[in-house]
Amino acid sequence: MLSEMLQKDRMRELKGDEMKKLFSKLSAYKYYFFLHLIIFQLSFGGVLSKFASKTAFLSIEFCLLYGLMLINLGVYAILWQQIIKKLPLTSAFCNKAVSIIWGMLWGVMIFAETISWNMIVGAIIVLVGVVLVVKSDG
Amino acid sequence: MLFSILVYLFGTFISAVSQILLKKSSQKNHKNRVAEYLNPHVIIAYTIFFLATLCTVIAYKYLPLSMGPILGAIEYIFVALLSFFLLKEKISRKKLLGLLVIVFGVFVFSFDFTILF
Repeated sequence: MLSEMLQKDRMRELKGDEMKKLFSKLSAYKYYFFLHLIIFQLSFGGVLSKFASKTAFLSIEFCLLYGLMLINLGVYAILWQQIIKKLPLTSAFCNKAVSIIWGMLWGVMIFAETISWNMIVGAIIVLVGVVLVVKSDG
Repeated sequence: MLFSILVYLFGTFISAVSQILLKKSSQKNHKNRVAEYLNPHVIIAYTIFFLATLCTVIAYKYLPLSMGPILGAIEYIFVALLSFFLLKEKISRKKLLGLLVIVFGVFVFSFDFTILF
């Protein structure tokens, strides 16, 4: 009778452990989601820089766009600090390479830049290279 | 265009220098929390980083936005080289391979192969 009860307790503990594992997995996904959200946010810094570059240097428009870009960068830096508390730095840096894709996408969609095949192939090679460099630290 | 690329690369280079300065500051013992953020290394680092963002904006006048983040990946190479020479950090074989792959990728990205055909 006693051993039966102990066994039941043990089973309950095991279930608790499994649940804990599942929760930590879920929360990791949550932080990866936030990470990609801020990488997406950072990509607009590039868009703001590009818009700023089209205005006269130190004009009101320039200062406004450049200022917004700096604010965007500052917000990103603060959020990045918070996220890397929860995620391995290596994985966080690997995921950051996605900004290459955002840059190309905004270039084409907002500034009507042309993308050729060699650019796509080059971008994929750079992505692989970044992952290799970052993983070599881990 | 070439001028823009050079300005952008100069920006990534000084940004890498600022990273090294921040690392140097982090290796020192500071009196208190405030000194951790307000010391010559960190202040100079952020000033340099600010100048790097200016370089980016100047470069984007002629540089396509799609090329920015690609050239930005060169920062990994600058950081590795500066860490090697200034912080005496070693570059592992795996890292070296990755760095070469990045350089090759940037080359493929920037080079218009159609002129060969």
